[in-house]
Amino acid sequence: MNLPFRLAFEQRTETPRRLAVMVPLLSVLAAIVAGGIFLFATGYSPFETYSNMLSDGFFSSTGITDTLGLSTVLICTGIAAAFAFQMNLYNIGGEGQLYLGMIGGAWAGLFFGDRLPGFVMIPVVLLVGAACGALWIALPAFVRARLGTSEIVTTLLLTYIGASLVNHFIYRAGSYFRAPNTLFPQGRQVPDSAMLSPLGDTTMYPTFFMVTVLAVFLWWVVRRTEFGYRIQVISDSPRAARYAGISAQRTTVQVMMISGALSGLGGATLIVGTFGRLDPGIVVLGYGYAGIVIAALARNNMAAIIVSGILFAGLRTGGDKLQISTDTPIHIGVMLQGAILLFALGGEAFRRYRVRVVRAQTATAQGAAQ
Amino acid sequence: MSNTSSEVAKGPHHSGGAAPSALSARNITKRFPGVLANDNVDFDVRPGEVHTLLGENGAGKSTLAAMLCGLYQPDSGTIARNGAPVVLSSPRAGLSHGIAMVHQHFRLVERFTVAENVVLGSRDLSYTLKRAELNDRVAEVAERYGLPVDPSATVGDLSVGQRQRVEIVKALYQGAEILLLDEPTAVLVPAEVEKLFENVHAMTATGKSIVFISHKLGEVVEISDRVTVLRNGRVTGHVSGRGSADTRELARLMVGRDIDLAVQRASHATGHEVLQIRDLSLTVNGIDVLSNISFNVHEGEMVGIAGVAGNGQKELADTIAGLVSPTSGSVSIGGSMSTDRGPIAARELGLAYVPEDRLGMGLVPSMSILDNLLLTRDRDTVVDRASVRPEANRLIDQFEIKANGPEHLARKLSGGNAQKVLLARELSGGRTATKLLVVCSPTRGLDVGAIETVRRLLDDARSAGQAILLISEDLDEIMSLADRILVLYRGAIVHETAGESAQLTTVGAAMAGLSQEVQK
Repeated sequence: MNLPFRLAFEQRTETPRRLAVMVPLLSVLAAIVAGGIFLFATGYSPFETYSNMLSDGFFSSTGITDTLGLSTVLICTGIAAAFAFQMNLYNIGGEGQLYLGMIGGAWAGLFFGDRLPGFVMIPVVLLVGAACGALWIALPAFVRARLGTSEIVTTLLLTYIGASLVNHFIYRAGSYFRAPNTLFPQGRQVPDSAMLSPLGDTTMYPTFFMVTVLAVFLWWVVRRTEFGYRIQVISDSPRAARYAGISAQRTTVQVMMISGALSGLGGATLIVGTFGRLDPGIVVLGYGYAGIVIAALARNNMAAIIVSGILFAGLRTGGDKLQISTDTPIHIGVMLQGAILLFALGGEAFRRYRVRVVRAQTATAQGAAQ
Repeated sequence: MSNTSSEVAKGPHHSGGAAPSALSARNITKRFPGVLANDNVDFDVRPGEVHTLLGENGAGKSTLAAMLCGLYQPDSGTIARNGAPVVLSSPRAGLSHGIAMVHQHFRLVERFTVAENVVLGSRDLSYTLKRAELNDRVAEVAERYGLPVDPSATVGDLSVGQRQRVEIVKALYQGAEILLLDEPTAVLVPAEVEKLFENVHAMTATGKSIVFISHKLGEVVEISDRVTVLRNGRVTGHVSGRGSADTRELARLMVGRDIDLAVQRASHATGHEVLQIRDLSLTVNGIDVLSNISFNVHEGEMVGIAGVAGNGQKELADTIAGLVSPTSGSVSIGGSMSTDRGPIAARELGLAYVPEDRLGMGLVPSMSILDNLLLTRDRDTVVDRASVRPEANRLIDQFEIKANGPEHLARKLSGGNAQKVLLARELSGGRTATKLLVVCSPTRGLDVGAIETVRRLLDDARSAGQAILLISEDLDEIMSLADRILVLYRGAIVHETAGESAQLTTVGAAMAGLSQEVQK
């Protein structure tokens, strides 16, 4: 109680531009330092671990393509989360919408695969996947708009149903999605016409470019279109929206459906590339949940999500390979992701508040740097 | 510090000229990021005296008051109590020196009783509340200063004037010798203001000191023994002597130039009916918010709706603007029915609406001036901001909006400039030319200079033939602008009078619900 000084948080009237850039960067750095301390305490060399992760994630020939390949789905779930978050709609069920996108994409691939040529098939698989993702959020969107039901609860609970659905379609005997005549239950491979070829000898697919273009396009939509204008009015002042005759209900449904479609699209990219079938392993990968962190790190900026998505993908590929190359547990990568989120959210305080050291019992407050 | 300092001493007053200061501040300077809020300010108040701090919004009077009660600490300068230097490190420290502030926005717990609120924060309470004893103690303090309150009443049931009295009793109960009253009359009707002034006299008679903070010239002249005028953080003048100050002179010290808030009325005959309201009723959650309201507003006419806040003004405005559907009755604008057709339809019929709540309803705080101009207009699928920019620049010039250009964010505008942006958008017409302007409390919280501009803009709009419905709690404003005055009380129109023949007492009584006469 009687410390010689205390920290005072003073609200900033505006955030200096340099802080807007510095805070996320410093948050990542702080998370790495905190992770390093943890590594050191558990008997691993932080420098060795990090340099392995860096080279495996970004600087080796297969590392960077693996990272960009993985970032495809992560950017997708990132923009999905951010698109809803920017209107204060907390769709945290991107994970479930991703499953449904995968189910839908796999169905479209299996059903139309032999009847349609590849240049038609790929868009069909992606669109059906997106539609299924949108469908999975339709009910939460509708009850949120009409009754104000918390979308946090509804979208999260539907994720568990989505996971059960994936398991049902794989483990049920005679399932349409299940590969016949295999000892271990697994999904049936879609025909070649429903799959893209990877870029050269890599795990990266052309869908990466589609997704980055999509992120930039959405960035433009938010900033330049009437739809984006509406989103900004509603998220900032719902009463101003009502005053101007802008329907928050309709826009809520639209924004949530688009968010769900983007997650679904992410699931479908795993069908046209990477997996090529409905894989029950998806339910433990957490790509949809990662999108929440990626969106938060990019502060819901659609274009910045390309960067945070690639960063995250790098951490994951680097972390995954650690276990193979060294005996470091795979969970180091996961722990670092968590640390980055915590530090990024904590860093927000520095963007909005100025921290001052105040000497007790003096009339003059001494300003001090943060 | 004293570029326009004027000392108009009018002889000794009742407290005696040589009495030592109960509280004095010397060379006070306080800086906020980018703003010099107080620059070398001197201020003092004697026992038994009312000393007013007069100034526009942002002049630094609230900052000074905050330092006098311990809420802020000065960057430099000294504060002395009865001549001895003190450090007021917190409001509690201020209280321990007998200094208390009554804030403009009350800090009362609505679900508690008066007595519970009064003793809240006292450190000498026993673990079990002895209500009867508390009630007696609070009633005793209240009676001593002629402040009638019922200690066992629930604060949530009290009127605004009564709540203010509770705040004052609370300060006195806590042992305040010096009371800082921050814009105390802003929320009161004329009768309550009179009552407040009686209370102030009762307190000064027992030797209490009152620091009265205000920007309303008339009441300042009436209540003050001395006046200190602040402008841009500096003292621009001292005036002493109750009732002797000249409002023109005070206004000049306050604004830095001569201002004109003269009465303005329609200069020419009014035209057709633009707004027609018939038997309008609105029931919300079983409560009649508006009952059976009928009136018209004509071209070139300004009709004022007077009333104490919360008597249905906001709902009336929202219903006319199409934001709320009435339970029964109808609204037509320019001869076409607009009931139940929504805000965009109402605007297409020529409505413009300046809501009371500027930032958050009228304007989107996080958006630029330019984007805010687009709020009530037709927007293309891809918003073409470039084509609106010249108009935005033109409006910024025309309405003398202080901004760095069309990209200036609404939330970074001062209250007066935000209001000008709102008026600029609404008066310049969007979907169609404006025929009917509904304005709510257009000058609330603005400084005198901005009030002058806003009133001139409204008068210009009237002269241009627009029909104006002015809804305001500021009775002075309605009395000096409106051609016709309607008084809204509990959702009904209880009084109607022509602007030029309106009597302050009659209208004030009607606002307080004392009028038996119910007109249509």
